[in-house]
Amino acid sequence: MPPSPPNRPSPRVADNAPAGREATLTRREWLATLGVGGALCLAAVTLGWWTARRRSPPAHEAPATPRELADFALLERSGRAVTREDLRGRFLIVSFLFTSCSLSCRAVNDRMAELQRALAGAEDVRLVSLTVDPRTDTPATLARFAARYHADPNRWWFLTGEKAELYRLIEASFLSRSRELETLIPGGFANLDHLFLVDRTGRVRQAFGGLRADAVRQILAALERLREETQAP
Amino acid sequence: MKTLPTLLTGGLLLLMTAGCGRAPAPASATAAPDAAGTRSFEARGVVREIAADRRTAVIRHEEIPGYMPKMTMELNVRDPAELAEVSVGDEITFRLHATADTHWIDGIRRVGRAPAVAAAETPLFVPEETPELKPGDPVPDAEFLDEHGRPVRLSDFRGRAVAFTFFFTRCPLPDYCPRMNAHFRDARQLLLSRPDAPTNWQFLCVSFDAAFDQPAVLARYARAYRGDNPDRWLFAAAAPATLARLAPRLDLMVIREAGGFSHNLRTVVLDPAGRIFRQFDGNAWTPAELAEALVAAARESGAPGDAAEVGQR
Repeated sequence: MPPSPPNRPSPRVADNAPAGREATLTRREWLATLGVGGALCLAAVTLGWWTARRRSPPAHEAPATPRELADFALLERSGRAVTREDLRGRFLIVSFLFTSCSLSCRAVNDRMAELQRALAGAEDVRLVSLTVDPRTDTPATLARFAARYHADPNRWWFLTGEKAELYRLIEASFLSRSRELETLIPGGFANLDHLFLVDRTGRVRQAFGGLRADAVRQILAALERLREETQAP
Repeated sequence: MKTLPTLLTGGLLLLMTAGCGRAPAPASATAAPDAAGTRSFEARGVVREIAADRRTAVIRHEEIPGYMPKMTMELNVRDPAELAEVSVGDEITFRLHATADTHWIDGIRRVGRAPAVAAAETPLFVPEETPELKPGDPVPDAEFLDEHGRPVRLSDFRGRAVAFTFFFTRCPLPDYCPRMNAHFRDARQLLLSRPDAPTNWQFLCVSFDAAFDQPAVLARYARAYRGDNPDRWLFAAAAPATLARLAPRLDLMVIREAGGFSHNLRTVVLDPAGRIFRQFDGNAWTPAELAEALVAAARESGAPGDAAEVGQR
Protein backbone atom coordinates (compact mmCIF):
# COMPACT_ATOMS: atom_id res chain seq x y z
CA MET A 1 0.00 0.00 0.00
CA PRO A 2 1.23 3.49 -0.78
CA PRO A 3 2.01 5.66 2.22
CA SER A 4 -0.70 8.09 3.09
CA PRO A 5 0.05 11.67 2.12
CA PRO A 6 2.08 13.35 4.83
CA ASN A 7 0.58 16.78 4.38
CA ARG A 8 -3.01 16.66 3.33
CA PRO A 9 -4.07 20.12 2.26
CA SER A 10 -6.50 21.55 4.73
CA PRO A 11 -9.67 23.02 3.26
CA ARG A 12 -8.94 26.61 2.34
CA VAL A 13 -12.51 27.65 2.68
CA ALA A 14 -12.14 31.13 4.05
CA ASP A 15 -9.04 32.21 2.11
CA ASN A 16 -10.84 34.38 -0.38
CA ALA A 17 -14.15 35.00 1.35
CA PRO A 18 -14.77 38.71 1.85
CA ALA A 19 -14.49 38.99 5.61
CA GLY A 20 -17.48 40.38 7.44
CA ARG A 21 -19.69 40.78 4.41
CA GLU A 22 -21.60 37.56 4.85
CA ALA A 23 -22.47 38.49 8.41
CA THR A 24 -24.66 41.31 7.17
CA LEU A 25 -26.80 39.16 4.89
CA THR A 26 -30.33 38.45 5.98
CA ARG A 27 -31.71 34.98 5.62
CA ARG A 28 -33.68 36.13 2.57
CA GLU A 29 -30.64 37.59 0.88
CA TRP A 30 -28.80 34.46 1.71
CA LEU A 31 -31.40 32.29 0.03
CA ALA A 32 -31.48 34.59 -3.00
CA THR A 33 -27.72 34.36 -3.22
CA LEU A 34 -27.93 30.62 -3.02
CA GLY A 35 -30.53 30.43 -5.76
CA VAL A 36 -29.02 32.90 -8.23
CA GLY A 37 -25.46 31.89 -7.52
CA GLY A 38 -26.34 28.24 -7.81
CA ALA A 39 -28.15 28.73 -11.11
CA LEU A 40 -25.36 30.87 -12.55
CA CYS A 41 -22.78 28.41 -11.43
CA LEU A 42 -24.64 25.43 -12.80
CA ALA A 43 -25.07 27.18 -16.13
CA ALA A 44 -21.46 28.22 -16.26
CA VAL A 45 -20.21 24.81 -15.24
CA THR A 46 -22.38 23.15 -17.84
CA LEU A 47 -21.33 25.59 -20.53
CA GLY A 48 -17.70 25.37 -19.55
CA TRP A 49 -17.80 21.60 -19.49
CA TRP A 50 -19.59 21.47 -22.82
CA THR A 51 -17.30 23.92 -24.57
CA ALA A 52 -14.25 22.24 -23.10
CA ARG A 53 -15.51 18.97 -24.49
CA ARG A 54 -16.22 20.53 -27.85
CA ARG A 55 -12.79 22.08 -28.01
CA SER A 56 -10.82 19.05 -26.95
CA PRO A 57 -9.09 17.58 -29.97
CA PRO A 58 -9.57 13.96 -30.96
CA ALA A 59 -7.43 11.56 -28.96
CA HIS A 60 -5.37 10.70 -31.97
CA GLU A 61 -5.46 12.01 -35.50
CA ALA A 62 -6.26 9.65 -38.30
CA PRO A 63 -3.18 8.68 -40.30
CA ALA A 64 -2.94 10.43 -43.67
CA THR A 65 -2.87 7.16 -45.53
CA PRO A 66 -4.64 4.39 -43.63
CA ARG A 67 -2.75 1.15 -43.31
CA GLU A 68 -4.24 -2.13 -44.37
CA LEU A 69 -5.03 -4.74 -41.79
CA ALA A 70 -2.37 -7.37 -42.56
CA ASP A 71 -3.41 -10.96 -43.12
CA PHE A 72 -2.81 -13.32 -40.23
CA ALA A 73 -3.31 -16.87 -38.98
CA LEU A 74 -4.15 -16.94 -35.27
CA LEU A 75 -6.27 -18.77 -32.71
CA GLU A 76 -9.41 -17.48 -31.07
CA ARG A 77 -9.96 -18.24 -27.36
CA SER A 78 -12.42 -20.93 -28.40
CA GLY A 79 -9.46 -22.71 -30.05
CA ARG A 80 -10.77 -21.96 -33.55
CA ALA A 81 -8.29 -20.91 -36.23
CA VAL A 82 -8.98 -17.36 -37.45
CA THR A 83 -7.66 -15.35 -40.40
CA ARG A 84 -8.38 -11.89 -41.77
CA GLU A 85 -11.04 -13.45 -44.01
CA ASP A 86 -13.15 -14.25 -40.94
CA LEU A 87 -13.37 -10.54 -40.12
CA ARG A 88 -14.02 -9.30 -43.64
CA GLY A 89 -16.90 -6.90 -44.16
CA ARG A 90 -17.16 -5.77 -40.56
CA PHE A 91 -15.95 -2.73 -38.66
CA LEU A 92 -13.33 -3.75 -36.13
CA ILE A 93 -12.33 -2.18 -32.84
CA VAL A 94 -8.91 -3.59 -32.00
CA SER A 95 -7.16 -3.53 -28.62
CA PHE A 96 -4.08 -5.19 -27.12
CA LEU A 97 -3.64 -7.00 -23.85
CA PHE A 98 -1.62 -9.37 -21.75
CA THR A 99 -3.57 -11.09 -19.02
CA SER A 100 -0.70 -10.83 -16.51
CA CYS A 101 -1.17 -7.08 -16.52
CA SER A 102 -1.83 -5.83 -13.01
CA LEU A 103 -2.83 -2.18 -13.24
CA SER A 104 -3.53 0.36 -15.92
CA CYS A 105 -4.04 -1.88 -18.94
CA ARG A 106 -7.10 -3.34 -17.27
CA ALA A 107 -8.69 0.02 -18.00
CA VAL A 108 -8.38 -0.70 -21.72
CA ASN A 109 -10.34 -3.94 -21.29
CA ASP A 110 -12.97 -2.00 -19.35
CA ARG A 111 -13.29 0.30 -22.37
CA MET A 112 -13.76 -2.69 -24.65
CA ALA A 113 -16.44 -4.05 -22.30
CA GLU A 114 -18.17 -0.65 -22.37
CA LEU A 115 -18.03 -0.69 -26.16
CA GLN A 116 -19.53 -4.18 -26.25
CA ARG A 117 -22.45 -2.93 -24.14
CA ALA A 118 -22.87 0.25 -26.21
CA LEU A 119 -22.80 -1.77 -29.43
CA ALA A 120 -25.28 -4.43 -28.35
CA GLY A 121 -27.17 -5.57 -31.44
CA ALA A 122 -24.71 -4.00 -33.89
CA GLU A 123 -24.00 -6.91 -36.22
CA ASP A 124 -21.60 -4.87 -38.35
CA VAL A 125 -18.96 -4.44 -35.61
CA ARG A 126 -16.56 -6.92 -34.07
CA LEU A 127 -14.28 -6.31 -31.09
CA VAL A 128 -10.84 -7.90 -31.36
CA SER A 129 -8.23 -8.10 -28.58
CA LEU A 130 -4.72 -9.26 -29.46
CA THR A 131 -2.41 -10.61 -26.77
CA VAL A 132 1.25 -9.62 -26.72
CA ASP A 133 2.17 -12.49 -24.36
CA PRO A 134 0.88 -15.56 -26.22
CA ARG A 135 2.81 -18.23 -24.32
CA THR A 136 0.99 -17.15 -21.17
CA ASP A 137 -2.22 -16.23 -22.94
CA THR A 138 -3.27 -19.58 -24.34
CA PRO A 139 -6.84 -19.95 -25.63
CA ALA A 140 -7.85 -21.39 -22.24
CA THR A 141 -6.27 -18.49 -20.32
CA LEU A 142 -7.89 -15.97 -22.64
CA ALA A 143 -11.26 -17.69 -22.25
CA ARG A 144 -11.06 -17.31 -18.46
CA PHE A 145 -9.98 -13.70 -18.84
CA ALA A 146 -12.74 -12.92 -21.36
CA ALA A 147 -15.37 -14.33 -19.02
CA ARG A 148 -14.36 -11.77 -16.39
CA TYR A 149 -15.36 -9.05 -18.85
CA HIS A 150 -18.52 -10.85 -19.95
CA ALA A 151 -17.15 -10.93 -23.47
CA ASP A 152 -19.65 -12.33 -25.97
CA PRO A 153 -17.89 -15.13 -27.96
CA ASN A 154 -19.64 -14.00 -31.14
CA ARG A 155 -18.88 -10.29 -30.86
CA TRP A 156 -15.61 -9.93 -28.92
CA TRP A 157 -12.74 -12.14 -30.03
CA PHE A 158 -9.47 -12.70 -28.17
CA LEU A 159 -6.64 -13.78 -30.46
CA THR A 160 -3.41 -15.59 -29.64
CA GLY A 161 -0.96 -17.75 -31.56
CA GLU A 162 2.71 -17.71 -32.46
CA LYS A 163 4.41 -14.69 -30.95
CA ALA A 164 6.19 -13.91 -34.23
CA GLU A 165 2.88 -13.96 -36.11
CA LEU A 166 1.14 -11.72 -33.56
CA TYR A 167 4.01 -9.24 -33.44
CA ARG A 168 4.21 -9.13 -37.24
CA LEU A 169 0.48 -8.35 -37.44
CA ILE A 170 0.65 -5.67 -34.74
CA GLU A 171 3.72 -4.00 -36.26
CA ALA A 172 2.41 -4.15 -39.81
CA SER A 173 -1.04 -2.80 -38.98
CA PHE A 174 -1.01 -0.85 -35.73
CA LEU A 175 2.00 -0.09 -33.54
CA SER A 176 5.73 0.44 -33.73
CA ARG A 177 8.00 -1.33 -31.31
CA SER A 178 11.50 -1.07 -29.88
CA ARG A 179 13.58 -3.20 -27.57
CA GLU A 180 14.38 -0.14 -25.45
CA LEU A 181 10.69 -0.01 -24.44
CA GLU A 182 10.37 -3.67 -23.53
CA THR A 183 10.66 -3.17 -19.76
CA LEU A 184 8.34 -0.17 -19.92
CA ILE A 185 5.54 -1.41 -22.19
CA PRO A 186 4.68 -5.06 -22.88
CA GLY A 187 6.37 -6.18 -26.07
CA GLY A 188 7.98 -2.74 -26.35
CA PHE A 189 4.98 -1.51 -28.36
CA ALA A 190 4.51 2.26 -28.12
CA ASN A 191 0.87 3.26 -27.49
CA LEU A 192 -0.18 -0.25 -26.51
CA ASP A 193 -3.10 1.30 -24.62
CA HIS A 194 -4.62 2.63 -27.85
CA LEU A 195 -7.75 1.27 -29.50
CA PHE A 196 -7.92 1.13 -33.29
CA LEU A 197 -10.90 1.47 -35.56
CA VAL A 198 -10.73 -0.56 -38.78
CA ASP A 199 -13.27 0.04 -41.54
CA ARG A 200 -15.21 -2.58 -43.47
CA THR A 201 -12.67 -2.68 -46.27
CA GLY A 202 -9.87 -3.56 -43.83
CA ARG A 203 -8.25 -0.13 -43.62
CA VAL A 204 -6.99 0.97 -40.19
CA ARG A 205 -8.66 4.35 -39.91
CA GLN A 206 -8.11 5.88 -36.48
CA ALA A 207 -6.49 5.34 -33.06
CA PHE A 208 -7.85 6.40 -29.68
CA GLY A 209 -6.13 6.69 -26.29
CA GLY A 210 -7.70 3.83 -24.36
CA LEU A 211 -7.13 5.42 -20.95
CA ARG A 212 -8.98 8.61 -21.86
CA ALA A 213 -12.35 9.04 -20.24
CA ASP A 214 -13.99 10.01 -23.54
CA ALA A 215 -12.50 7.15 -25.60
CA VAL A 216 -15.77 5.23 -25.87
CA ARG A 217 -17.76 8.30 -26.89
CA GLN A 218 -15.16 9.22 -29.50
CA ILE A 219 -15.00 5.72 -30.94
CA LEU A 220 -18.78 5.49 -31.21
CA ALA A 221 -18.89 8.87 -32.96
CA ALA A 222 -16.10 7.86 -35.37
CA LEU A 223 -17.87 4.58 -36.07
CA GLU A 224 -21.04 6.48 -36.90
CA ARG A 225 -19.10 8.66 -39.37
CA LEU A 226 -17.64 5.58 -41.04
CA ARG A 227 -21.09 4.03 -41.36
CA GLU A 228 -22.38 7.18 -43.04
CA GLU A 229 -19.37 7.24 -45.33
CA THR A 230 -19.91 3.68 -46.52
CA GLN A 231 -23.66 4.17 -46.93
CA ALA A 232 -23.28 7.35 -49.00
CA PRO A 233 -24.06 6.80 -52.70
CA MET B 1 -24.14 26.09 13.83
CA LYS B 2 -22.61 29.33 12.77
CA THR B 3 -19.82 28.12 10.53
CA LEU B 4 -21.77 26.30 7.85
CA PRO B 5 -23.85 29.24 6.54
CA THR B 6 -20.79 31.41 6.83
CA LEU B 7 -18.77 29.08 4.71
CA LEU B 8 -21.51 28.51 2.18
CA THR B 9 -22.21 32.19 1.80
CA GLY B 10 -18.56 32.97 1.50
CA GLY B 11 -18.22 30.36 -1.16
CA LEU B 12 -21.25 31.56 -3.09
CA LEU B 13 -20.17 35.20 -2.99
CA LEU B 14 -16.89 34.08 -4.38
CA LEU B 15 -18.69 32.19 -7.11
CA MET B 16 -20.83 35.17 -8.01
CA THR B 17 -17.94 37.59 -8.22
CA ALA B 18 -15.56 35.28 -9.95
CA GLY B 19 -18.00 33.17 -11.91
CA CYS B 20 -17.19 29.53 -11.98
CA GLY B 21 -13.83 29.94 -13.62
CA ARG B 22 -12.28 29.69 -10.21
CA ALA B 23 -12.41 26.82 -7.87
CA PRO B 24 -15.35 27.02 -5.53
CA ALA B 25 -14.18 26.60 -2.00
CA PRO B 26 -15.59 23.34 -0.75
CA ALA B 27 -17.49 23.35 2.47
CA SER B 28 -15.92 20.16 3.56
CA ALA B 29 -13.16 17.77 2.68
CA THR B 30 -15.31 14.79 3.49
CA ALA B 31 -17.47 12.65 1.26
CA ALA B 32 -20.69 14.11 2.68
CA PRO B 33 -22.58 15.94 -0.09
CA ASP B 34 -22.81 19.70 0.30
CA ALA B 35 -25.97 21.74 -0.32
CA ALA B 36 -25.59 21.39 -4.11
CA GLY B 37 -25.13 17.61 -3.88
CA THR B 38 -21.40 17.82 -4.57
CA ARG B 39 -19.16 15.36 -2.82
CA SER B 40 -15.54 16.36 -2.36
CA PHE B 41 -12.49 14.24 -1.73
CA GLU B 42 -8.84 14.90 -0.96
CA ALA B 43 -6.66 13.01 -3.40
CA ARG B 44 -3.06 12.47 -4.38
CA GLY B 45 -1.54 11.25 -7.60
CA VAL B 46 0.97 11.59 -10.37
CA VAL B 47 0.31 13.55 -13.56
CA ARG B 48 0.62 11.35 -16.65
CA GLU B 49 -0.73 13.66 -19.38
CA ILE B 50 -1.90 17.25 -19.59
CA ALA B 51 -4.23 18.31 -22.41
CA ALA B 52 -3.00 21.22 -24.54
CA ASP B 53 -5.78 23.46 -23.19
CA ARG B 54 -5.07 22.28 -19.61
CA ARG B 55 -8.75 21.54 -19.11
CA THR B 56 -8.15 17.86 -18.56
CA ALA B 57 -5.30 15.85 -17.14
CA VAL B 58 -4.65 12.13 -16.96
CA ILE B 59 -3.73 11.41 -13.36
CA ARG B 60 -2.63 8.17 -11.81
CA HIS B 61 -4.20 8.69 -8.42
CA GLU B 62 -3.96 6.81 -5.17
CA GLU B 63 -7.05 5.28 -3.65
CA ILE B 64 -9.72 7.87 -2.89
CA PRO B 65 -11.33 6.33 0.19
CA GLY B 66 -15.06 6.07 -0.14
CA TYR B 67 -15.04 6.87 -3.85
CA MET B 68 -12.54 5.17 -6.14
CA PRO B 69 -9.71 2.66 -5.98
CA LYS B 70 -6.24 3.53 -7.16
CA MET B 71 -6.39 4.05 -10.94
CA THR B 72 -5.39 6.16 -13.92
CA MET B 73 -8.13 8.56 -15.00
CA GLU B 74 -8.63 11.53 -17.24
CA LEU B 75 -10.03 14.25 -14.97
CA ASN B 76 -11.64 17.61 -15.72
CA VAL B 77 -9.63 20.53 -14.39
CA ARG B 78 -11.77 23.41 -13.14
CA ASP B 79 -9.14 26.11 -13.52
CA PRO B 80 -6.51 25.50 -16.23
CA ALA B 81 -4.30 28.13 -14.52
CA GLU B 82 -3.80 25.67 -11.69
CA LEU B 83 -1.81 23.48 -14.08
CA ALA B 84 0.46 26.29 -15.26
CA GLU B 85 3.32 25.20 -12.99
CA VAL B 86 2.59 21.48 -13.17
CA SER B 87 4.21 19.10 -15.62
CA VAL B 88 3.97 15.43 -16.48
CA GLY B 89 5.61 13.31 -13.82
CA ASP B 90 4.81 15.70 -10.97
CA GLU B 91 3.23 14.34 -7.86
CA ILE B 92 0.26 16.45 -6.84
CA THR B 93 -2.42 16.72 -4.21
CA PHE B 94 -5.83 17.92 -5.33
CA ARG B 95 -9.50 17.88 -4.50
CA LEU B 96 -11.92 15.83 -6.56
CA HIS B 97 -15.52 17.01 -6.66
CA ALA B 98 -18.29 14.81 -7.96
CA THR B 99 -21.94 15.55 -8.62
CA ALA B 100 -24.49 13.16 -10.03
CA ASP B 101 -23.44 13.88 -13.60
CA THR B 102 -19.97 15.42 -13.69
CA HIS B 103 -16.75 15.83 -11.80
CA TRP B 104 -13.84 18.25 -11.62
CA ILE B 105 -10.65 18.74 -9.71
CA ASP B 106 -9.20 21.85 -8.11
CA GLY B 107 -6.84 22.83 -5.32
CA ILE B 108 -3.97 21.31 -7.31
CA ARG B 109 -0.67 21.54 -5.47
CA ARG B 110 2.62 20.19 -6.68
CA VAL B 111 4.19 18.24 -3.84
CA GLY B 112 7.12 16.66 -5.63
CA ARG B 113 8.48 14.71 -8.48
CA ALA B 114 7.32 11.12 -8.41
CA PRO B 115 10.28 8.77 -8.13
CA ALA B 116 8.18 5.94 -9.53
CA VAL B 117 7.54 7.83 -12.73
CA ALA B 118 11.11 8.99 -13.06
CA ALA B 119 12.18 5.37 -12.65
CA ALA B 120 9.46 4.18 -14.99
CA GLU B 121 10.90 6.31 -17.78
CA THR B 122 14.20 4.44 -17.60
CA PRO B 123 14.25 0.89 -18.90
CA LEU B 124 15.09 -1.68 -16.24
CA PHE B 125 17.11 -3.43 -18.92
CA VAL B 126 17.21 -3.68 -22.70
CA PRO B 127 16.81 -7.32 -23.66
CA GLU B 128 19.33 -8.88 -26.00
CA GLU B 129 18.05 -9.66 -29.45
CA THR B 130 18.09 -13.43 -29.32
CA PRO B 131 15.64 -16.26 -29.98
CA GLU B 132 13.63 -17.98 -27.29
CA LEU B 133 15.03 -21.23 -25.98
CA LYS B 134 13.25 -24.52 -26.55
CA PRO B 135 13.23 -27.71 -24.47
CA GLY B 136 16.62 -29.38 -24.87
CA ASP B 137 18.46 -26.07 -25.32
CA PRO B 138 21.12 -25.23 -22.72
CA VAL B 139 20.45 -22.09 -20.69
CA PRO B 140 23.49 -19.80 -20.71
CA ASP B 141 25.06 -19.57 -17.29
CA ALA B 142 23.83 -16.71 -15.14
CA GLU B 143 25.00 -15.31 -11.83
CA PHE B 144 22.68 -14.01 -9.10
CA LEU B 145 23.15 -12.56 -5.62
CA ASP B 146 21.63 -14.92 -3.08
CA GLU B 147 19.91 -14.35 0.25
CA HIS B 148 23.24 -14.76 2.10
CA GLY B 149 24.86 -12.03 0.01
CA ARG B 150 26.88 -14.60 -1.96
CA PRO B 151 27.01 -15.02 -5.73
CA VAL B 152 25.27 -18.10 -7.04
CA ARG B 153 25.37 -19.42 -10.61
CA LEU B 154 23.08 -21.78 -12.45
CA SER B 155 26.19 -23.86 -13.18
CA ASP B 156 26.69 -24.34 -9.44
CA PHE B 157 23.82 -26.81 -9.66
CA ARG B 158 25.13 -29.05 -12.44
CA GLY B 159 24.28 -32.62 -11.58
CA ARG B 160 20.94 -31.61 -10.12
CA ALA B 161 17.61 -30.89 -11.73
CA VAL B 162 16.83 -27.22 -11.08
CA ALA B 163 13.46 -25.49 -10.98
CA PHE B 164 13.66 -21.72 -11.06
CA THR B 165 11.09 -18.96 -11.32
CA PHE B 166 11.03 -15.15 -11.23
CA PHE B 167 9.28 -12.90 -8.73
CA PHE B 168 9.70 -9.77 -6.60
CA THR B 169 9.04 -9.60 -2.88
CA ARG B 170 6.76 -6.54 -3.08
CA CYS B 171 4.47 -8.32 -5.57
CA PRO B 172 0.96 -7.63 -4.29
CA LEU B 173 -1.15 -10.01 -6.36
CA PRO B 174 -1.97 -13.30 -4.62
CA ASP B 175 -2.19 -15.30 -7.85
CA TYR B 176 1.24 -14.13 -9.08
CA CYS B 177 4.47 -14.23 -7.08
CA PRO B 178 2.90 -15.52 -3.87
CA ARG B 179 1.28 -18.35 -5.83
CA MET B 180 4.62 -19.25 -7.46
CA ASN B 181 6.37 -19.41 -4.12
CA ALA B 182 3.49 -21.32 -2.51
CA HIS B 183 3.67 -23.82 -5.38
CA PHE B 184 7.42 -24.19 -4.85
CA ARG B 185 6.80 -24.73 -1.14
CA ASP B 186 4.22 -27.44 -1.82
CA ALA B 187 6.27 -29.12 -4.55
CA ARG B 188 9.32 -29.19 -2.26
CA GLN B 189 7.22 -30.79 0.45
CA LEU B 190 6.05 -33.42 -2.04
CA LEU B 191 9.63 -34.22 -3.07
CA LEU B 192 11.01 -34.27 0.47
CA SER B 193 8.26 -36.57 1.67
CA ARG B 194 8.43 -39.02 -1.23
CA PRO B 195 10.61 -41.98 -0.28
CA ASP B 196 11.47 -42.92 -3.89
CA ALA B 197 12.23 -39.35 -5.03
CA PRO B 198 15.73 -38.55 -6.26
CA THR B 199 17.73 -36.18 -4.09
CA ASN B 200 19.64 -34.34 -6.84
CA TRP B 201 17.31 -31.42 -7.27
CA GLN B 202 17.28 -27.74 -6.34
CA PHE B 203 14.73 -24.91 -6.22
CA LEU B 204 15.74 -21.32 -6.98
CA CYS B 205 13.48 -18.26 -6.81
CA VAL B 206 14.97 -15.24 -8.59
CA SER B 207 13.82 -11.68 -7.93
CA PHE B 208 14.04 -9.22 -10.82
CA ASP B 209 13.87 -6.33 -8.30
CA ALA B 210 17.51 -6.51 -7.20
CA ALA B 211 17.53 -2.85 -6.15
CA PHE B 212 14.93 -3.52 -3.47
CA ASP B 213 15.36 -7.25 -2.89
CA GLN B 214 18.68 -7.08 -1.10
CA PRO B 215 19.89 -10.27 0.63
CA ALA B 216 18.30 -9.36 3.97
CA VAL B 217 14.95 -8.70 2.32
CA LEU B 218 15.15 -12.01 0.48
CA ALA B 219 16.12 -13.90 3.63
CA ARG B 220 13.13 -12.50 5.51
CA TYR B 221 10.79 -13.28 2.62
CA ALA B 222 12.24 -16.79 2.23
CA ARG B 223 11.54 -17.60 5.87
CA ALA B 224 7.84 -16.92 5.33
CA TYR B 225 7.67 -19.69 2.71
CA ARG B 226 10.44 -22.01 3.77
CA GLY B 227 10.15 -21.91 7.53
CA ASP B 228 13.34 -22.94 9.25
CA ASN B 229 14.24 -25.61 6.71
CA PRO B 230 16.23 -24.15 3.80
CA ASP B 231 16.91 -27.59 2.29
CA ARG B 232 17.36 -27.34 -1.51
CA TRP B 233 15.54 -24.02 -1.85
CA LEU B 234 17.45 -20.79 -2.41
CA PHE B 235 16.27 -17.21 -2.99
CA ALA B 236 18.35 -14.77 -5.04
CA ALA B 237 18.12 -11.61 -7.13
CA ALA B 238 19.19 -10.97 -10.74
CA ALA B 239 20.98 -7.79 -11.77
CA PRO B 240 19.45 -6.00 -14.79
CA ALA B 241 22.36 -7.07 -17.04
CA THR B 242 21.65 -10.71 -16.19
CA LEU B 243 17.96 -10.22 -16.92
CA ALA B 244 18.81 -8.65 -20.26
CA ARG B 245 20.35 -11.98 -21.28
CA LEU B 246 17.86 -14.34 -19.62
CA ALA B 247 14.51 -12.61 -20.20
CA PRO B 248 14.39 -12.81 -24.02
CA ARG B 249 15.61 -16.44 -23.98
CA LEU B 250 12.90 -17.47 -21.51
CA ASP B 251 10.14 -15.15 -22.82
CA LEU B 252 10.07 -13.42 -19.43
CA MET B 253 8.25 -10.09 -19.49
CA VAL B 254 9.02 -7.55 -16.78
CA ILE B 255 7.39 -4.12 -17.01
CA ARG B 256 8.08 -1.26 -14.64
CA GLU B 257 4.76 0.05 -13.47
CA ALA B 258 3.54 2.35 -10.72
CA GLY B 259 6.56 1.84 -8.47
CA GLY B 260 6.36 -1.93 -8.91
CA PHE B 261 6.28 -4.35 -11.80
CA SER B 262 3.83 -6.00 -14.10
CA HIS B 263 5.25 -9.31 -15.24
CA ASN B 264 4.42 -12.67 -16.67
CA LEU B 265 5.28 -15.95 -14.97
CA ARG B 266 8.00 -18.22 -16.29
CA THR B 267 9.06 -21.31 -14.38
CA VAL B 268 11.83 -23.40 -15.89
CA VAL B 269 13.02 -26.91 -15.08
CA LEU B 270 16.62 -27.71 -16.06
CA ASP B 271 18.07 -31.19 -16.33
CA PRO B 272 21.35 -32.04 -14.54
CA ALA B 273 23.29 -30.79 -17.59
CA GLY B 274 21.62 -27.37 -17.47
CA ARG B 275 19.36 -27.93 -20.48
CA ILE B 276 15.72 -26.91 -20.50
CA PHE B 277 13.68 -29.96 -19.54
CA ARG B 278 10.30 -28.32 -19.22
CA GLN B 279 8.83 -24.82 -18.99
CA PHE B 280 5.71 -23.89 -17.05
CA ASP B 281 4.14 -20.69 -18.37
CA GLY B 282 1.60 -18.70 -16.35
CA ASN B 283 0.06 -19.88 -13.10
CA ALA B 284 -2.26 -22.69 -14.18
CA TRP B 285 -0.01 -25.57 -13.14
CA THR B 286 0.11 -27.56 -9.93
CA PRO B 287 2.83 -28.34 -7.38
CA ALA B 288 2.40 -32.03 -8.24
CA GLU B 289 3.20 -31.33 -11.90
CA LEU B 290 6.33 -29.41 -10.91
CA ALA B 291 7.44 -32.21 -8.57
CA GLU B 292 6.89 -34.76 -11.33
CA ALA B 293 8.96 -32.72 -13.76
CA LEU B 294 11.78 -32.46 -11.21
CA VAL B 295 11.76 -36.22 -10.66
CA ALA B 296 11.87 -36.90 -14.40
CA ALA B 297 14.53 -34.24 -15.05
CA ALA B 298 16.75 -35.44 -12.19
CA ARG B 299 16.91 -38.87 -13.83
CA GLU B 300 18.21 -37.39 -17.08
CA SER B 301 21.94 -37.77 -17.38
CA GLY B 302 24.29 -34.87 -17.63
CA ALA B 303 25.72 -34.33 -21.09
CA PRO B 304 28.98 -36.17 -21.82
CA GLY B 305 31.97 -34.31 -20.48
CA ASP B 306 29.84 -32.35 -18.03
CA ALA B 307 31.48 -32.25 -14.65
CA ALA B 308 28.72 -33.10 -12.19
CA GLU B 309 29.89 -30.69 -9.55
CA VAL B 310 27.30 -30.92 -6.83
CA GLY B 311 28.30 -27.92 -4.78
CA GLN B 312 26.94 -27.72 -1.26
CA ARG B 313 24.92 -24.61 -0.63
